[in-house]
Amino acid sequence: MGYHTSLYVFVFLPVCLVVYQLMPAKWRWKALLFFSYLFFYLLSGKLLVYLVGATALTHYIGAWMSWQRAQEAEELSGADRETKKSIKLKYRRRCRSALAVGILLLIGVLAYLKYYNFFISNVSGVLLWLSLPFSPGEKSLLMPVGISFYTLQAIGYMADVYWGKAKAENRFGRMALFLGFFPQIMEGPICRYSDTAGSLFAGAPLTAENLSQGYMRIFWGLFKKKVVADRLAVIVGVIFGNYTEYGGAYIAVAAVAYTVQLYMEFSGCMDIVIGSGKLFGVCLPENFRQPFCARSASEFWRRWHITLGTWFKSYIFYPVSVSGIVKRWNQFGRKHAGKYLTRLVTSAAALFPVWLCNGLWHGARWSYIFYGMYYFVLIMLGTAVQPARNKLLSVCHIREDSGYWRVIQIAKTWVIIFVGELFFRADGLQAGFHMFASMFRDFQLSLLWDGSLLGLGLGRADLAAVAVGCVVVAVIGSLKERGEPIFVRLVKTSVPVRWGAYYALILAVIVFAAYGDGYQSVDLIYAGF
Amino acid sequence: MGKMLKKGVLFFTVLLVLLFLASIWISALAAGMADRVQGRNRPVAGITAEEGDTVDLLVVGDSESYTSVSTMDLWKQYGTASYVCGQGGQRIQEAYYMLKTAFRTQSPKVVMVETNMMFRDPGIFKNAQISLAEPLRYYLPVFRYHNLWKLLLDEPKEMTSDYKGFVIKEKITSCKGAEYMKETGEMQELPEFVRFYMRRIQDLCERNGAQLLMVSVPSPKNYNYKKINALRHYAKQNGIPYVDMNLKAEEIGMDWSKDSYDGGDHLNIHGAQKVTAYLGKYLKENYGLPDRRNDAAYSSWNTLAEKFDTEVKQKTGQ
Repeated sequence: MGYHTSLYVFVFLPVCLVVYQLMPAKWRWKALLFFSYLFFYLLSGKLLVYLVGATALTHYIGAWMSWQRAQEAEELSGADRETKKSIKLKYRRRCRSALAVGILLLIGVLAYLKYYNFFISNVSGVLLWLSLPFSPGEKSLLMPVGISFYTLQAIGYMADVYWGKAKAENRFGRMALFLGFFPQIMEGPICRYSDTAGSLFAGAPLTAENLSQGYMRIFWGLFKKKVVADRLAVIVGVIFGNYTEYGGAYIAVAAVAYTVQLYMEFSGCMDIVIGSGKLFGVCLPENFRQPFCARSASEFWRRWHITLGTWFKSYIFYPVSVSGIVKRWNQFGRKHAGKYLTRLVTSAAALFPVWLCNGLWHGARWSYIFYGMYYFVLIMLGTAVQPARNKLLSVCHIREDSGYWRVIQIAKTWVIIFVGELFFRADGLQAGFHMFASMFRDFQLSLLWDGSLLGLGLGRADLAAVAVGCVVVAVIGSLKERGEPIFVRLVKTSVPVRWGAYYALILAVIVFAAYGDGYQSVDLIYAGF
Repeated sequence: MGKMLKKGVLFFTVLLVLLFLASIWISALAAGMADRVQGRNRPVAGITAEEGDTVDLLVVGDSESYTSVSTMDLWKQYGTASYVCGQGGQRIQEAYYMLKTAFRTQSPKVVMVETNMMFRDPGIFKNAQISLAEPLRYYLPVFRYHNLWKLLLDEPKEMTSDYKGFVIKEKITSCKGAEYMKETGEMQELPEFVRFYMRRIQDLCERNGAQLLMVSVPSPKNYNYKKINALRHYAKQNGIPYVDMNLKAEEIGMDWSKDSYDGGDHLNIHGAQKVTAYLGKYLKENYGLPDRRNDAAYSSWNTLAEKFDTEVKQKTGQ
């Protein structure tokens, strides 16, 4: 029961809404918890035990740290300055140990379920290469849905409690809802406790505004997923599935098609998720902000899967940046290596683990690790050449905010994105390099208009639906980029105009979506991460 | 809350009216271009476009049905006006709503259910989804024919000839079929939702004055003794006549070296003609279906039968 299925949108959500509204306000969060666990159970069955285990661990470590803080405060009152210092140190160490235990256990479970076979297959490869007779066997491991998402959320919560940025939740059920809230469990967004806890537990009554805005957001997501993404999945499947048979512009088409498919699907799913939250008055953070308007690779990642980037920034980049070793390097570097090199090495030290983890988080494959390293190298290159680039722009009298320069930068970023996604989607790193190399052989752009595209599994009508769908999404995105979000403006319009727009969107989904006869249902891509 | 409810009711009422109007328009469009509708919707559009009250025997089922019951042979030999509303991998829910659709314009005397679909269980989610989607498609056909707009843009595809739902398969892929019915007292479980929908089909037929008949066509890949035991038991329990042709394969004259087009899963035209001859005789003896061959209102059926003969000769070289 993915978020894009009729069962979720037209049965699960309405039943949940009715039960939620019938409950007294103080019990509504319990209704949400019940449906969240039911949803998880329907998807993962007995693997629910992993979520319960992660919740218990997160909850009790948070509660223990909170209790330690209270003890610390008690001991500190009346103590002299020297004793205060040692008391603080003692409790900091205790809390740090608890945090480390929590993180290690959560990461341990994730690593075991997600990376064990990858690790074993690589070890086996090395042993085989060394002609050693020992060959450890791979295991058939089942991963509960959303483990990559709720694990990060749980670690974020514990770190925030440790840093004093969040107050520990003292009710187990509420922690369970924070980690298992059904609209976000499959694909995120990865929330901070302080961002969602308030609205999750408020038990706000249903309102016409939330219901209409929520459901319209859901339909907008369905439009992206079912009209565009699911059709592009056909072309993507044909070329990536038979990549040795294609070359030149076909590979470029596959890279662009997959990027657009991934965007339409993931952002569409986020629209459904955020819309689902909105129905209950829960404001979930945005995960996309017009990523194709980005002018650089780093800006792209501030607009694409925002909550993952924010998580890595908050819990890896900043802690590494302010760690003792980096601080010491900064002091040493300023004296001996100069400002430029010091800054470059500091950035590299903080960004390397971020991009390594970003790659690994997506899955246990070398191509994902390559994907992370690809962005690490590009962003570091951007940082390295920035002084020279600024000088060149100044010499050539090119203004950063000029239209044509902006277009050039966006086009460059598109190329970076498309190449990255080509490796990301390819069936392994070797296949990725094969496809990348074959792109430069026999490149004929004429396939875009000579009918060759019709041999990739989609007819004229489907291609037209994809094109029109992309134009609609691009226009709405560009209006939003200019500060004129159409959905916000729509709320302020008169009822006939608003309802007219709602009906148009609903009918567009019903008529143009790729469902029913002749179409295969396409599973959510990010739910597999 | 009251205001919100009123607004919500108004919104959904207008939406329903819009969907209803769109459904009327799109159904008329589909009936007008029934010969261009493809895939699972083809038999729905086909039976809807058929002249009212002309079909005496209606067949539902999965691909076993439309490859085994040769409507034109039934017509030529017995003058039976039959229509196969089969779909590849048809689910029982689809069969039920197919019949509901057919009963809107037709008054068949016999409804035949090919039983292979009765063992199809796609799982709880898929079942729930189909059980919700099928009534939606039935009451609001805009959901069924929503892709019709594509016919305006796509190049016309070559259509397979369709003889009142029957599809000619001339290829021969032989199989060792003789041993597949090994006697046993065991029974394969019939899924609960299948029983539920079969009861609904039975009620529907009763309400519409049609007699329900269960038929298992010969298929070494799909049938075995356990299934036949279960079907016999179910039919007896519910008072439905049941014809199993797997145990009568010899009597029918099945020759698995040349009667299947895919190695024992489906019948080809040779197998279909044998099965149809047996079935036609059974129907004549037990139901007395009218012979329409000399009825002027059915002249187009005679023309279609001639076209069928030509195509069979062309494809089989006989």
